[in-house]
Amino acid sequence: MSRIVADIIGFGRGYIRSKTGAFFAFFFPILLILLFGAIFSASSTKVTLPVQNLDDGQYSQQIMAILNQTGLVKIDMISPHEDIKSYISNESLSLALYIPPGFSYEVAQRLAGNGTGLASLTLYGDPSQSTFGTVNAALSAAVTSLNFDLSGTNPLISYDVTHPGAHQFSFIDFFIPGVVGITVMTNSLFSMTSICASYRSRGFFKLLATTKLKKYEWLVSKFVFYSALLYVSLFVTFGIGKAAFDLEATLTPLSLLLIPAGVFLFVSLGMLVGVIIKDPESGAAISNVIGFPMMFLSGSFWPIDSMPMYMQVIAKAMPLTYFNDGLRDTMVYANSGSSLVNLLIVIVIGLVFFVLASKLMSWKEK
Amino acid sequence: MGETIIDVQGLSKHYPPDVKAVDDITFHIDSKQVFSMLGPNGAGKTTTVEILEGLRNPTAGNATIFGVDVTKDYAELRDKVGILPQSFEPFDNLKPTETVQYWAGLYDMKVTTSQVNDLLERVGLTERRSIVARKLSGGEKRKLGIALSLINDPEVLFLDEPTTGLDPKARRDLWHLIEEIQSKGTTVFLTTHYLDEAEKLADDVAIMNKGKIVARGSPHDLIAKYGKMTVIVITGAGNEGLKELKRRGIDATEENGDVLVPVRNPAEMRVIFQKISGIELKVKDMYTRRQSLEDVFLNLVGAKMDDGVLRE
Repeated sequence: MSRIVADIIGFGRGYIRSKTGAFFAFFFPILLILLFGAIFSASSTKVTLPVQNLDDGQYSQQIMAILNQTGLVKIDMISPHEDIKSYISNESLSLALYIPPGFSYEVAQRLAGNGTGLASLTLYGDPSQSTFGTVNAALSAAVTSLNFDLSGTNPLISYDVTHPGAHQFSFIDFFIPGVVGITVMTNSLFSMTSICASYRSRGFFKLLATTKLKKYEWLVSKFVFYSALLYVSLFVTFGIGKAAFDLEATLTPLSLLLIPAGVFLFVSLGMLVGVIIKDPESGAAISNVIGFPMMFLSGSFWPIDSMPMYMQVIAKAMPLTYFNDGLRDTMVYANSGSSLVNLLIVIVIGLVFFVLASKLMSWKEK
Repeated sequence: MGETIIDVQGLSKHYPPDVKAVDDITFHIDSKQVFSMLGPNGAGKTTTVEILEGLRNPTAGNATIFGVDVTKDYAELRDKVGILPQSFEPFDNLKPTETVQYWAGLYDMKVTTSQVNDLLERVGLTERRSIVARKLSGGEKRKLGIALSLINDPEVLFLDEPTTGLDPKARRDLWHLIEEIQSKGTTVFLTTHYLDEAEKLADDVAIMNKGKIVARGSPHDLIAKYGKMTVIVITGAGNEGLKELKRRGIDATEENGDVLVPVRNPAEMRVIFQKISGIELKVKDMYTRRQSLEDVFLNLVGAKMDDGVLRE
């Protein structure tokens, strides 16, 4: 234990004094929050729209047909047997359209001059999220178009907007877990790749092998160090988010468990890359090749379902996707079940990388 | 002779397809000596020392330190062995004081500030103890490496080419340090390709070439056995001088315009001088040169000196 503590202190001092380490741990996430928080306050992109249609009439079909024709949304049907609110919560959906039973009957009644008010749809979504604008525009166009077709100037149909969760989240709430995910990945993956490669090329592994420190103790020390470092980074990121953007997302016990799990995954991946490549320069290049696509395709900055389908498939193959999803599930959507599944996926992928890296890593010369 | 500390029997290290980095070597090292393994680059010195440091596994043979098999139970030896690996580099962002504290921790040791300062003073780093390591000179970094290798007060110290790449002053500083370490009773295993270093520091020398030990003994014994002993150097005598000496039955060779006359037996010295003085020669200067390990190398290994370093 004392050797681990000694290694943590010795390694930690060197790390903190390295400008790259401090940049990625503290300044990089802050930079991302400030930049992307300002840029993505309200953007619209093509998105998948889950729809639950409990109506069996023609007007609901017409609404969906017009929505499809806009080319802005792709409709995914939700089973009529699901409770819409539970489904949204369980699937951590940020958007869904609800068409109530008897919707077409209500429209027909209004069209015949019976009844009062308008036949109404419900759009579950947060107006401050990046994908909401796209769906809102498409639905507004579809409703206006159908109103015009049916009655000319008098509207018969309207829709309400309801927030899917208990809180009204803003874009920054969606964004913060992504920032945390990127920070964990960059610090763990990039640093470990570079450390392993430079330790080997500069003879530090050989040097450490001359002491009583064991390989597993060194690995534990790195895991503990990066976990602690990234907890600090997480709290700093949250503090900035709260102070500057009225963050609603919360730090849950599951999110605090996900941090070391993510560190474990990306430290292991970094070790694996670091022991395979031959020199530090190649290590930096390969970790960039692995890390940067993950950074932008794993739902850190924008929802995966707003990306083209083939990119969504690629995103599903990236470990950071599960880490981001796990954080977002628990911190934003309060969906512990889904977050737990993602946590387990992160741990299992981490274990695979760890076992491979441990087998390939040797402090001894051949 | 002290007790045997390191015992190596039939040690080999082969790499596919047919590289014999170390080829069936046997030797032992007694306590409280400076043992120097000499050889040109690629001779197998570092491979041998890294097997003894527990950093490589041999292909065949046995090696023990204090009777402990280095391939199996090295953990038992970590308290007794200090190691300065070849091309040692410290951690860039740690100061010498922090590095020593860190290293002590890796040996389960708690050291006080005063103990850290004492160790740094011993290696001559007191003035530079609070400078981050990346700002230290090459010699200072190597001194820090020696400080780390001494952290556990070892009984055996492995120094793998400790002065390679250092300037003459830094080399001499380290020589003094190694002499001081040996004077405290530590057995030192020194690999080097500097002949003057081995000649200055070592009690016992093994000359290694192409994976094999080709000679073993004290520097004086090796020179006596494999060197040509003293040489009379007649500068500027040239080829004509060489012919004249040979015509008079005097064994001689020419080297860069000088004529060299070997004196195999010190008793012959006077006679040879008398013979030479009776010959009309173009002479700029005449002096005697004591042979060194370099000459031993020329004879045994065919290696030549290049800026004090052996090269094949």
